[in-house]
Amino acid sequence: MAQRTSVQRPSGGGQGKICQFKLVLLGESAVGKSSLVLRFVKGQFHEYQESTIGAAFLTQTVCLDDTTVKFEIWDTAGQERYHSLAPMYYRGAQAAIVVYDITNQDTFGRAKTWVKELQRQASPNIVIALAGNKADLANKRMVEYEEAQTYAEENSLLFMETSAKTAMNVNDIFLAIAKKLPKSDNSATGSQREGMTLRPSDPTPGPAGCCK
Amino acid sequence: MADRRAAGEEGGDGGTNSSTTSQSRLSDVDEYGFQRPPDFDYATYEEFMSRYLTVLARRARKWAHLLGARETVGRGVKLKRYVRKGIPMKHRGKMWLEVSGARQQMSLRPGYYRAMLAGAPLGEEVQEAIRVDLPRTFPDNIHFRQVTQDAQVTQGKLVSLNNVLSAFCRHNAGIGYCQGLNYIAGLLLLVTNDEESSFWLLCVLTDSLLPDYYTSTMVGVLTDTRVMEALVKERCPLVWRHVEHYGLTWDLLVTKWFVCLFAEVLPIETVLRIWDCLFYEGNKVLMRVALALVVTNEAEILKAQDFGDIVKCFKKITQDANAIDCHSFMETVFKVSGSFPRARLAKLRDSCMEQVLAESKK
Repeated sequence: MAQRTSVQRPSGGGQGKICQFKLVLLGESAVGKSSLVLRFVKGQFHEYQESTIGAAFLTQTVCLDDTTVKFEIWDTAGQERYHSLAPMYYRGAQAAIVVYDITNQDTFGRAKTWVKELQRQASPNIVIALAGNKADLANKRMVEYEEAQTYAEENSLLFMETSAKTAMNVNDIFLAIAKKLPKSDNSATGSQREGMTLRPSDPTPGPAGCCK
Repeated sequence: MADRRAAGEEGGDGGTNSSTTSQSRLSDVDEYGFQRPPDFDYATYEEFMSRYLTVLARRARKWAHLLGARETVGRGVKLKRYVRKGIPMKHRGKMWLEVSGARQQMSLRPGYYRAMLAGAPLGEEVQEAIRVDLPRTFPDNIHFRQVTQDAQVTQGKLVSLNNVLSAFCRHNAGIGYCQGLNYIAGLLLLVTNDEESSFWLLCVLTDSLLPDYYTSTMVGVLTDTRVMEALVKERCPLVWRHVEHYGLTWDLLVTKWFVCLFAEVLPIETVLRIWDCLFYEGNKVLMRVALALVVTNEAEILKAQDFGDIVKCFKKITQDANAIDCHSFMETVFKVSGSFPRARLAKLRDSCMEQVLAESKK
């Protein structure tokens, strides 16, 4: 249950460029946001994952050809009253995963609202992925694959059905995001520290770094 | 209690320690029923406990003498000192009821809890929100394990938790159910072992101690986060500038501290010591703790050299050896936060709340 999956880890020195991206997970309460992150970061799954209060922060690194991509992940609380906090997490994020539960139609509706909000208020270049989680519960399915896929295509979203429980498509969705994120060439220094992410008050001014 | 989550949140950056699980005399379940995580630092904990047991024995004697055959105590400087040094577990539930005024409310309205419990069915949405969070409350605690029959939870603290949260929704429909209350009510149940007492303590918390925390806008939490920032800026300007420099905001760092009243943040024993003071002295202690955590860990925080490191540092300082040693921790909290006039805090809250409300209207 707790074995590591096939996320490649950086092998240390001699790497090509290193990119750092801020990613936020959004979606209705209990759709499996924390479980997706726990699976991706630690290769683990808990049947009853504690409800997230505020948000949790985690990091994970993946290798993509000669590029090391470090994700800084904000896993947010799902309950509507925490909504006012959400802009803090998606502000300056280069990627977002909007999660719904395939066994619950309401959560799909909520996911669409999140997508709209991101399209309106997040960075214009944000890469948005839609994850239909709990795909292992296909016998309780309430949201058809085609319906979500059509919606995703119309809105230029990456789309996958995932299962944090079985690990299906979990690494894949993060990798797909990593592939889609722009990685320019002027960052061969390997410095991870500054200018790698879009932050409102980042000390490095201007479009420096590799991940703009 | 924060430990299992900690193991899940530290990310891919290792975080090993030299615990000696197999040699420890301690059980892998603590006295409150929380499963100790595989990476639990038994050595540090045992070292602390060997000292703290002496303190506990002394406090038990003192409290026995103070209470004598009585069930109630008057307020006063002596009691305040006693509470700050920790209420023995044996008396904790009763004393919380006593010093917070919950007992008085409970005796003024006998049967009220039962009436709330048996009230009209809750709205579908709020009922679903509670239902979904029940099994996600302290899943690492043996008392909160699911015992189900025909998909109904039938025994244990989860039944009580459902009852308390549902009764509370009927009592205060304005708040209803806010995520975070599950942990608070859960911990109240662990300490009091009684639904009605937990219900009234929850009422005292939300009606008088933290009136704006769990409302639909959570304006109280947003306000106190800002109050904390103002105090850090004043007392610890280097940390404030450091956090600002890396583009972090205080909401990102400490929202959970205030929402959960440090439950699921600090070690369980430390949380209970804070709650002793919370019920006796009021919400000011939350600000004292938050400020002391920053002040005493200034060097550590300043060492963190990027966004992610700072976030992780704020996590680490709530779980290190200092946070585990609840007795020294509380001494430090009051020493470091020093004089803390209520009037000044109230004024600061007013101005911060004004800002929050103005921004939410934009």
